[in-house]
Amino acid sequence: MSIKSGSLSAHAWRQIKKEKLAMLSLFIIVIYVLIALASVTGLLAANWSKEVGASYSAPSLQHIFGTDIFGRSVLEKTIKGTEVAISVGLVTAVLSITIGVFLGAMAGYFGGFIDEMIVWFYTTLSSIPTTMLLVAIALILGKGMLAVYLALGLTSWVSLCRLIRGEVMRHCEREYVQAASAIGGGHLRKIFKHILPNVSHIVIINFSLQFQTAIKSEVILSYLGLGVQGRPSWGTMIDDSKLELARGVWWQLAAATIAMMFVVLAFNILGDALRDALDPKLKGKS
Amino acid sequence: MSEILLSIKNLNVEFKTDEGIVHAVKNFNLDIKKGETVGLVGESGSGKSVTSLAIMGLIPNPPGKITSGEILFQGKDLLKMSREELRKIRGNKISMIFQEPMTSLNPVFTVGNQIDEAIILHQKVSAKEARKRTLELLHEVGIPNYEQKVNDYPHQMSGGQKQRVMIAMAMACKPDLMICDEPTTALDVTIQKQVLELMFNLQNKHGMAMLFITHDLGVIAEVANHVAVMFRGDLVESSSAKEIFNDPKHPYTKGLMACRPSLDKNPKRLLTVETFLNAENAKISDIKVEYKVEKETDDEKYPVLLEIRNLKKYFPIKGGIFGRTVDEFKAVDDVSFKLRKGRILGLVGESGCGKTTLGRAILRLIEPTAGDIIYSGVNLGTLNHSQMQAMRRKMQIIFQDPYSSLNPRMTVGDIITEPLEIHNVGANKKERYDVAQSLMEKVGLKTAHLTRYPHEFSGGQRQRICIARALSLKPEFIICDESVSALDVSVQAQVLNLLLDLQDEFKLTYIFISHDLGVVKFLADEVGVMNKGKIVEYAKASEIYKNPREDYTKRLLDAIPRGIPVRG
Repeated sequence: MSIKSGSLSAHAWRQIKKEKLAMLSLFIIVIYVLIALASVTGLLAANWSKEVGASYSAPSLQHIFGTDIFGRSVLEKTIKGTEVAISVGLVTAVLSITIGVFLGAMAGYFGGFIDEMIVWFYTTLSSIPTTMLLVAIALILGKGMLAVYLALGLTSWVSLCRLIRGEVMRHCEREYVQAASAIGGGHLRKIFKHILPNVSHIVIINFSLQFQTAIKSEVILSYLGLGVQGRPSWGTMIDDSKLELARGVWWQLAAATIAMMFVVLAFNILGDALRDALDPKLKGKS
Repeated sequence: MSEILLSIKNLNVEFKTDEGIVHAVKNFNLDIKKGETVGLVGESGSGKSVTSLAIMGLIPNPPGKITSGEILFQGKDLLKMSREELRKIRGNKISMIFQEPMTSLNPVFTVGNQIDEAIILHQKVSAKEARKRTLELLHEVGIPNYEQKVNDYPHQMSGGQKQRVMIAMAMACKPDLMICDEPTTALDVTIQKQVLELMFNLQNKHGMAMLFITHDLGVIAEVANHVAVMFRGDLVESSSAKEIFNDPKHPYTKGLMACRPSLDKNPKRLLTVETFLNAENAKISDIKVEYKVEKETDDEKYPVLLEIRNLKKYFPIKGGIFGRTVDEFKAVDDVSFKLRKGRILGLVGESGCGKTTLGRAILRLIEPTAGDIIYSGVNLGTLNHSQMQAMRRKMQIIFQDPYSSLNPRMTVGDIITEPLEIHNVGANKKERYDVAQSLMEKVGLKTAHLTRYPHEFSGGQRQRICIARALSLKPEFIICDESVSALDVSVQAQVLNLLLDLQDEFKLTYIFISHDLGVVKFLADEVGVMNKGKIVEYAKASEIYKNPREDYTKRLLDAIPRGIPVRG
């Protein structure tokens, strides 16, 4: 019996390609990213603040998602919100993964005093209620995008760090890592060339989960008035619609929640498919 | 007694894989009589385990499928039974023991609970009666202090004890047929012997039939009345144990018999299955064995390459609330020996005797607590980190598990060239790959496979890759830590021969660590027997086998399956 040639990641990619739902999710995510890029570069929704119609006109062919109190297009606001969501998701996920992987690998590999310090640090951090911490950071840094990035990035790395620490410890005991020391390999080589590629599946899966968690957290922060200021985001749109609902204006709320739902759902499905394809512990349980 | 209990007729099993359909079992026929033990022998991938799973109705579908044939148990076809009917037979009339006792017991229940459950599942008895029966069973399988041990969790027991518990569980409902899938492969030879004896006795007492699956003909000889040999899905030979051992017909069976190192003769190279399969029928009788000439062990011409003086490695045992060190575990306790250039030292002992720790401490993969390691005049303990790294060019290690000792994310080429890269050998990648190519040829692998990943290779091939990696820096000294223990006997013979060929070619010195005295006897010039961290006996290989002084050594020697059939 010969197994089809190729690396483990090539193998995983082939498996994901077979999953129709996962591919659809990936497609949806790509579209969101493209919309966000178009919005950043000004191709889409550059004039979102312009008045395009009457105040609170219901969805029609002219204004697919209707207009808001100032007669601005809700569609364009949603697109602008996508930009915020994707950028927050990306920056936060990258930030939290960088911190989580770095600290987790250090703690797991070196053990001893370094490990104790890192564990002490993250247990202290995680003993503070996350939302309180977010509020505190947002208040210190002042409201705005930077505060959102940092607040979310600096609080979401703990679970990944724990996972990576445990996994790295396990891999340190494995014979291939000992073989690397036996041939004279140094610490950096063992960590970066041997151990980290073998825990990369955790990082990838975590990336997709962090991304959507960050999107949701941004919405909550903005809803609480601690998030982005002076520009539309899904959270501020939902915040606005608090008062609108009483007057029967539902479209702003609908546009923001539907936009959020699709991207979060897509990330969840993709995350599960990634886990099935990449996690060696689930191999053979199809 | 001659009544047929289980009859497999024309069984065909297929597996659907990415590469198409694989015929795992082809037209398989086998009868098991009441009270008889049938040995099913074959290497991994020969279809023996698939056959046993087919009997239990445990073939995963998909990807597996039984395409034709019937399995008659007491006259009824198991393949046509409903799930409910099958469930009543499984575990009740037919029970199964698996290879890995560590994973086949549930770690969160006590062993007593698990046996109780097996009894209550099939018999209408109260919990109290079930516990009574459980205690009887544990007593019967020879668990010491069984009245206390019944409340132990699996992790509190040794491997041998867990396998005994598995046997008790399989015996719980007094089955008519017991299927044992490599039940002793994961155990030390001494424990293996005890477990085999136990199974033998239980079977005699209760008169059940047994299907015993293994890759090792030596083990089969101890238990089986009848032996069936499988090779790549085909049943190649099936007859009484005496006949198989005294007059094997099929070249594959002959090869299997020859490839196990025996205790009385010491061939220069082991014969392999391939030798027999490749030879024409007439030429099999021409296959000759060349015997080894014993090398002098204290010849002055050969300098001492490695000297170990009073080496100790203690592990602290932490206890109390503050994690203070309350005691020390003496893994290696005051070990000294000398090893001359071009010689092979065998280190033998049961698991937990400290032989692996000793090997790693010599290479300073773990820091020894005390003692000196002098390698060609240099005391390794005095070297700093970078000096030690340079020293590693000369000293290498080959690990036990070929599955975990290769990084799954690197290609074979990258794995073999990594040592060269670390020590800046070769000007560029291409030059290093040229070295890797010649190494691949040396260890008997195709050079084109350098671009593949480890998971595409079999266990034996992976061990060859590990050997190629160890050789890439042209070392003088290699520690083989149970390097053939995880391999089938037929593959083991090939790897052992390869190690000897390489020794001749590169003038290597080996320390060969193993729990199997048979393998060590074939390979080693001198043998050190380890027990509880100490070397209890140290002598020339031939001496140890002829006149073992220590009782412990005698026990180890006794435990090796002789390959002489005990039952007719």
